[in-house]
Amino acid sequence: MGRRLPQIFFALSTLALVLILAAVWQAGSPSWKTYQRNFLQLEAQGEPNAVTKAAVLATPPEIHQVMLTGLQRVDRCTTCHLGVDDPTMKNAPEPFRYHAGLGPHTPSKFGCTICHGGQGLATEKNAAHGNVSFWQTPLLSADYIRASCGRCHKEGDVPGVPELTEGRRLFETQGCRGCHKLNGVGGSIGPDLTEEGASRRSPEWLEHHFLAPNVVSAGSAMPNFHFTREQARALTYYMLSLTNEDMGSYYSSVRLIPSPQYGRQLFVEKNCIVCHAVGGVGAKSGPDLLGVSKRHSPEWLDEQLVNPEFVYPGSSMPEYDLETNARKALIAFMDEATPQDAQEILSGRGHTLTPDEAAIEAGKRNFARFGCAGCHGTELEGGLPNPNAQGGQVPSLLHVADDYTQSEIVEVIRNGRAPPLQNASGPTPPLYMPSWKHLLSDEDIHQLVTFLWSKQQKSKESW
Amino acid sequence: MNPIREIWQSIVRRDPLSTDKGKSELVFLNVWLHIHPAKVKKEHLRFRHTYYLGFITFFLFMILLTTGIALMCYYRPDPPHAYQDMKDLEFVVFMGSFLRAMHRWAAHGMVICVFLHMCRVFYTGSYKKPRQFNWVVGVLLLLLTLGLSFTGYLLPWDQLAYWAITVGTNIGSYAPLVGGQVRELLLGGHSVGEAALLRFYVLHVAVFPSLLILLTIVHFWRVRKDGGLSRPVWKLAPMKVEQLVTIGAPAEIVPLKTGAASQDKTYGLMEVVTGKPIFETVTPEEEENAVFSYPYAFFREAIALMATVTGIMAISLLYHAPLEELANPARTPNPAKAPWYFLGLQELVSHSALLGGVVAPALMVIVLLAIPYFDRNPSRRPSDRKWALWLFSIFVVANLALIVIGTFFRGPGWAFVPPWVHVISGAE
Repeated sequence: MGRRLPQIFFALSTLALVLILAAVWQAGSPSWKTYQRNFLQLEAQGEPNAVTKAAVLATPPEIHQVMLTGLQRVDRCTTCHLGVDDPTMKNAPEPFRYHAGLGPHTPSKFGCTICHGGQGLATEKNAAHGNVSFWQTPLLSADYIRASCGRCHKEGDVPGVPELTEGRRLFETQGCRGCHKLNGVGGSIGPDLTEEGASRRSPEWLEHHFLAPNVVSAGSAMPNFHFTREQARALTYYMLSLTNEDMGSYYSSVRLIPSPQYGRQLFVEKNCIVCHAVGGVGAKSGPDLLGVSKRHSPEWLDEQLVNPEFVYPGSSMPEYDLETNARKALIAFMDEATPQDAQEILSGRGHTLTPDEAAIEAGKRNFARFGCAGCHGTELEGGLPNPNAQGGQVPSLLHVADDYTQSEIVEVIRNGRAPPLQNASGPTPPLYMPSWKHLLSDEDIHQLVTFLWSKQQKSKESW
Repeated sequence: MNPIREIWQSIVRRDPLSTDKGKSELVFLNVWLHIHPAKVKKEHLRFRHTYYLGFITFFLFMILLTTGIALMCYYRPDPPHAYQDMKDLEFVVFMGSFLRAMHRWAAHGMVICVFLHMCRVFYTGSYKKPRQFNWVVGVLLLLLTLGLSFTGYLLPWDQLAYWAITVGTNIGSYAPLVGGQVRELLLGGHSVGEAALLRFYVLHVAVFPSLLILLTIVHFWRVRKDGGLSRPVWKLAPMKVEQLVTIGAPAEIVPLKTGAASQDKTYGLMEVVTGKPIFETVTPEEEENAVFSYPYAFFREAIALMATVTGIMAISLLYHAPLEELANPARTPNPAKAPWYFLGLQELVSHSALLGGVVAPALMVIVLLAIPYFDRNPSRRPSDRKWALWLFSIFVVANLALIVIGTFFRGPGWAFVPPWVHVISGAE
């Protein structure tokens, strides 16, 4: 018994040794070493004398990496892309070609993946390019790469990327926030878009989705907004730029100086004068802003701009999704704003506002900001298809005064409403009126209703 | 004398292995091998009796210890780093991916082998008197193995880890009164986060391994002290059976022979404990049935060791350990699944939280622990234990069936989706 045991033991031990050697070989021959050898040969070609040639060829293989603590990433792309910062490699074949036109975005300070996407930590081609399962941001194709500028340049115009500015403008004016949350502000009918740029959805998918939501994702509640190709492209750029990553103070403040001028621009853009006055000039529904920066610390003001309800429970000031620098700029402007500025801003609007006009103005702003426009249209015309709702579409708001009193409409806005069914046994219509009472204050709703009534076409008097 | 020989002799202090005395001394004088008897019964060595599952489990644990200690050199248990360290192991550390794969596959293997070992011990009736307590120790070792695997599951800090642990600890929180608190104690908060990662790490690399090593020592010691490995006694002649099962059994009814011999004989401690004069413990027939541990047992164990190691290495060369995207508390995968060995429970939870989260696991552990005291049938012959075998088989099959359903047949929203149907998820 057991005469064969030593043989079996010996055979298994040999197998173990072979397996260890296989593992060592597998670990010791990664593909990046081949790229490095090829690159060294390319470099050696240019060397005139044999000694330097030999020295170049004898360079030991090693992993190159750029540590970007500010961006919380490590990019090892230059392990294979060895010529990115070497102008003599201008005409070299990929992956060794020189990267021209980087301007101030030097690879040593910015790495590669912040713009290109891909997996910086990886050292194997497919994994590094992010073309593997479980990597959220694969390489962006040349058509879409400029969208990445928006990851750091979160506000203002980015030279050469008008799509981003246009995308942001469309997002804020077409009522996207009615259904989608972005940075915590917005509705919850559609998906949260805060991290849309890292969701692994391909740019092509996004662009098609903007052009024809139902074709790309069957049964989607998203209405077709009949965007043009340029608009779809612009929105796609904006979506791709959305990430929740902390870009670090260096990267997010590099271009945007929170100057009072920028603050003033925001003050006009966000229509602050509709509620606030400066030294008595302006509207009275919010506090006067003259000397507000003497009364409160910058931190307090910043908090107020981020989350008004937190500072003053029940505050009727809406939340604005403003970037850090935008808030700093606004505070800087408030610090030096005079009644004269307010007068100029007001006169820039044409004429001084009566309280009613101010309410209408504020209501109009709410209508766009909270996304009513998304379904009811920027001109209140309604008409979005809503299968099996009465009339088969979202109702126009141009004639609400005919059918409802103001207090009835306030109730509908406050509590929401499911549209009446056209066919009682049919499917539930995808779109419905959400309840807004948790998002809008009574003041907001009053302003909205005032705005709605100001837009009523005078059919009532005519009959 | 040759000085090298002298040094060697000072280390091993035994006769050459070619002699029977040397073979015995190899076991007697060596602290590591001392856990074995000098001679073992031939039936003990039969592959078909034990399948060496206990040894394989132990060897897998050895692999896990060595690879685990190596992995500890590269791992920082805090959220921004943990995942990055996984990527570094994958892409930068020399043989890091191989190391991680070995640890991963050995861990799954250990869960499987512990379970199979338990089944083997049950089917051969080896938990019966006098081995009842060792079965209890074995069940505790099973629980520790699950605990080690579960705590290790979180450490890569990817989506798979994060949500498996979220689901797994949620199952635990269904326990009445204490469930919520235990979950909070384990996680160091209300949800899986930094504190949970650190706690799981401490449990995984310090607390559970130490307990497992301690209990393993007890488990091995008790195998020896409870009468050695169990044998298929029903296949032996009945007369021998009685003698064999009583050897080494504590406080068996055999009285100490204090007859004529006691007048002129001093009894050693071992004789008092076993209740038998030491030279009578082995009968000549048994002697015929026994072989020296060296080489017969040791070579077989060494082969089991090498087979385990080569098996794990071969699997690790072919298949990398999985690593999904970075853990994201805001993005719940659909369906979020617990580690595979808890999917049976999750499947039950999907029908009834109380049943799957509280009753079933509590009952399973209590019943498993109580089996040797519950089962009063002294016979180990399979034909005498039909009921026990049936019940246990139903338990095993039900467990496996639930795990298979949970693993392969559950899709988004825990709906029944056969594995051959492809569901496009994430379309919104």
